[in-house]
Amino acid sequence: MNGTTAFWYASRATGIVALLLLTTVFVLGLLVTRQGRLPGLPRFAVTSLHRNISLLAVAFVAVHVLTAVLDTYVSIPLTSAVIPFSSGYERFWLGLGAISLDLMLAMIVTSLLRGRLNRTLWRAVHLLAYLSWPVALAHSIGSSRDMQQGWMLVLAVGCAVLVLLAVTWRLVSAARQLPRAARVAAMMTKHAMPGTGIKSPRERAAR
Amino acid sequence: MTTAVNEPSAARHPHPTWPYAAHQSGQAHPATAAGLPRLLPASQKPESLRAHLARLGPVPYRNRGNRGNQGDQGDRSDRGNRSDLSAWTRSTQHADLIADLEAAGLTGRGGAAFPVHRKLAAVAKARGHKVIVANGAESEPASHKDAVLLRLAPNLVLDGLQLAAEAIGAREAHLYLHQGANPEILRALAERSAANLDRVTVTVTKAPPRFLAGQEAALVNRLSGGPALPTFTPPRVFERGVGGAPTLVQNVETLAHIALIARYGPQWFRALGTHDEPGSMLATIYHATDRPEVVEAGIGTPLSTLVKTTGAQALLVGGFHGTWLPMPLAAQRTLDNKSLSQNGAALGAGLLAALPKDRCGLAEAARITRYLAAESAGQCGPCLNGLPRMAAALTELTRPHRPSRRTREDVERWAGLVTGRGACSHPDGTARFVKSALIVFAAEIALHERGMCSATDHRPFLPLPHRMPTTEEDWT
Repeated sequence: MNGTTAFWYASRATGIVALLLLTTVFVLGLLVTRQGRLPGLPRFAVTSLHRNISLLAVAFVAVHVLTAVLDTYVSIPLTSAVIPFSSGYERFWLGLGAISLDLMLAMIVTSLLRGRLNRTLWRAVHLLAYLSWPVALAHSIGSSRDMQQGWMLVLAVGCAVLVLLAVTWRLVSAARQLPRAARVAAMMTKHAMPGTGIKSPRERAAR
Repeated sequence: MTTAVNEPSAARHPHPTWPYAAHQSGQAHPATAAGLPRLLPASQKPESLRAHLARLGPVPYRNRGNRGNQGDQGDRSDRGNRSDLSAWTRSTQHADLIADLEAAGLTGRGGAAFPVHRKLAAVAKARGHKVIVANGAESEPASHKDAVLLRLAPNLVLDGLQLAAEAIGAREAHLYLHQGANPEILRALAERSAANLDRVTVTVTKAPPRFLAGQEAALVNRLSGGPALPTFTPPRVFERGVGGAPTLVQNVETLAHIALIARYGPQWFRALGTHDEPGSMLATIYHATDRPEVVEAGIGTPLSTLVKTTGAQALLVGGFHGTWLPMPLAAQRTLDNKSLSQNGAALGAGLLAALPKDRCGLAEAARITRYLAAESAGQCGPCLNGLPRMAAALTELTRPHRPSRRTREDVERWAGLVTGRGACSHPDGTARFVKSALIVFAAEIALHERGMCSATDHRPFLPLPHRMPTTEEDWT
C-alpha cells in the first residue's frame, strides 16, 4: 500500500464495515417495530441502539463514498455517488450504491425532521429501508471482487440470511398479534378476574 | 343556599334514567350568603331558552356590530380599557374575554384544573381554521354533574361555547356528549337555531361509553372520525387537534362559568371561592346514609358541610383516578386543591363519594380497579400489562385466608412501575387510586388475611358500567 492506493483500501474496508453496520441497523429496526427486546436491555435501549448505530453506519458510508471519489486509482466523479448509473467505472454496480445512498439520505433527513413531520409520511419514507438494504448488499457483492469469494462471501451470505430470518420473524410476530381492542380482554381473562364475567381458560373448559 | 339535585341510589346506568327530582337542601351551608346557585336555575327545572334569557339576559358577544364576522378588522377600538376591570362591560374587543378569564382565575372543571385563559390564548394566537369543543362526555361513571348541568341549564353551556368560539376565532364548534345524554341539550340547540342566536353552528357527537372517551386526545381522535383513543403528546390539541386544526377543548361546566364571567365580570366571579381557586364548582356527592346529589358549592367550602359524615368510613375524592381519604381526615379538609393536596388528593372531576361503614372498602376498591383495568385502551405496555395485574392482585387480597404481604408489595411496586409511562394519565390515575386504597383500607386487608370482613352489606356501592370493550367498534 502506498499513498496512491490508501484511499482505495480505505474505501473497500469502510464499505465492508458499513455493510455490517447497516445489517445490524436493519435487524434492530425490525426489532423496534415489534417492540422486541435484546437480552439484558430495556426496550428503549433497543430503540437507542438502532438510532446510534445508524449514525455510526452513516459515518462509515460517508467515508466509503468520499474515499472512493478521492481515490485516483479509478476515476469516480462525486456526482456519481448520488446520481445512479452515471459512473464510467462499474456503471451498474456503482449505480446500485448511489440508489442505496439516496434512499438512506431520504430516511436520515425525514428522521431528523421527525418531530415536524406527520407519522405516516415518516413511516412511508422509513419503509424504503426494505429497498435500500438489499440494493446495498447487491452493490457490495457486485462491485467488490473481495466479496465474491472466500470468507467475505460467507459474511455477505450470513448478512442476507440474518436479515431474511429477522424479516420472517417480524411478519410472523405481526400476524400473531391480537387486535388492539381485544388485548385488554385477553389480559383480564389471563388473570381470571371474578366479578367481571370473565373466566379463565380453565374455568371455561370446565363448563 | 347550596343547589342540590337528588339522585336515587346508584343505578347501573345512571345517565339516562336519573329522574333528578329537585329539592332544596335548605340553609345549611355557609356559602348561602354568597349567592348560590350560579350555574343551575333556582327552579331546579330544565330551563327553556326564553327562561334562560329572562334570567341572565342576552348572549354578551363582545363583537356586537360585526355579527358572523370574527375577523380582526373592525374591533380594535377599545384597547385603552384593557387594564380597567370595571370597564369590562363597555368593552367591544373580544380579546377582553380572555383577559377577564385571567382576572377571574377560572380553571378547567373537567379534572385537570388548568387555567382556562391560557388554553384560550394559545388557540386564539394560532392562525387559520380553529375548532372549539364542549366536552360533556362525563365518562367518569360515578360523576353526574355535567349531565345535571346539561339538563338544567343547557343554554348557559351553549352561551359559553359561542363566547369562547368568538374569543378564539373558531368557526367550527362541537358538542361531545355522553351516550345517554338527556334530550334537553338537543332541544336547547334547536331553540337557539330557530331564534338564530348562535354565530357558529354546533355539531353534536356522542362519545362511546368508555372511561377514556372524554380524555382530550381521545375526544379529538373521535371527532376526527377515528376511535376514541388517547395518543401521545405533543402535539397538544391546541396545536393540532380536530382534523389537524388548533382545537380548544373545554368541559361543559367550564363553558357555563365562562358565560357567567362574560356577563358579570371577574370580580363577581371571585366573590366565591378562595384567592387561589376562585368561584364555585359542581360536585357529585355520594352520602353514606342518604341519596347521592349534585351540588354547586363555593370552592373552599368545608367538606364536612357538603358530605354527611355520619356512617361513613372513607371518602373517595376526585373520581376513579382520585384518592381515598379516611373520613375523619377528609372532614378536616376544604373543597379546594390547596387543602386536598396536603393529603395527596385533588378535586378532579368533582366526585366526593363517602363509603358507608357497613361496606368493604377493599372489595369496592378491587371492583373499581378491575373496571379501570378493563378500560385500558391497550395501547401502552405498562398500562396493558400492569393494570390487570394490579386488579387481579387486589382481588386476591379480598379473598379470605390469603397471606397478603407479598401481594400488597407487588401491587405497590406495579403501581410505581406504571406511573408516568402511558400516553395518557390512565395508569397514573389508577395507581393513585390503588395506592390510596392500600393505605386507607389496610385494616380491612389485615382482617381478610384472618378470614374476616368488616362488611355487613356486600352490595357494590359506586355505579359501574358492566360491559368491557372487546372490539374496535366499542371505541367509536
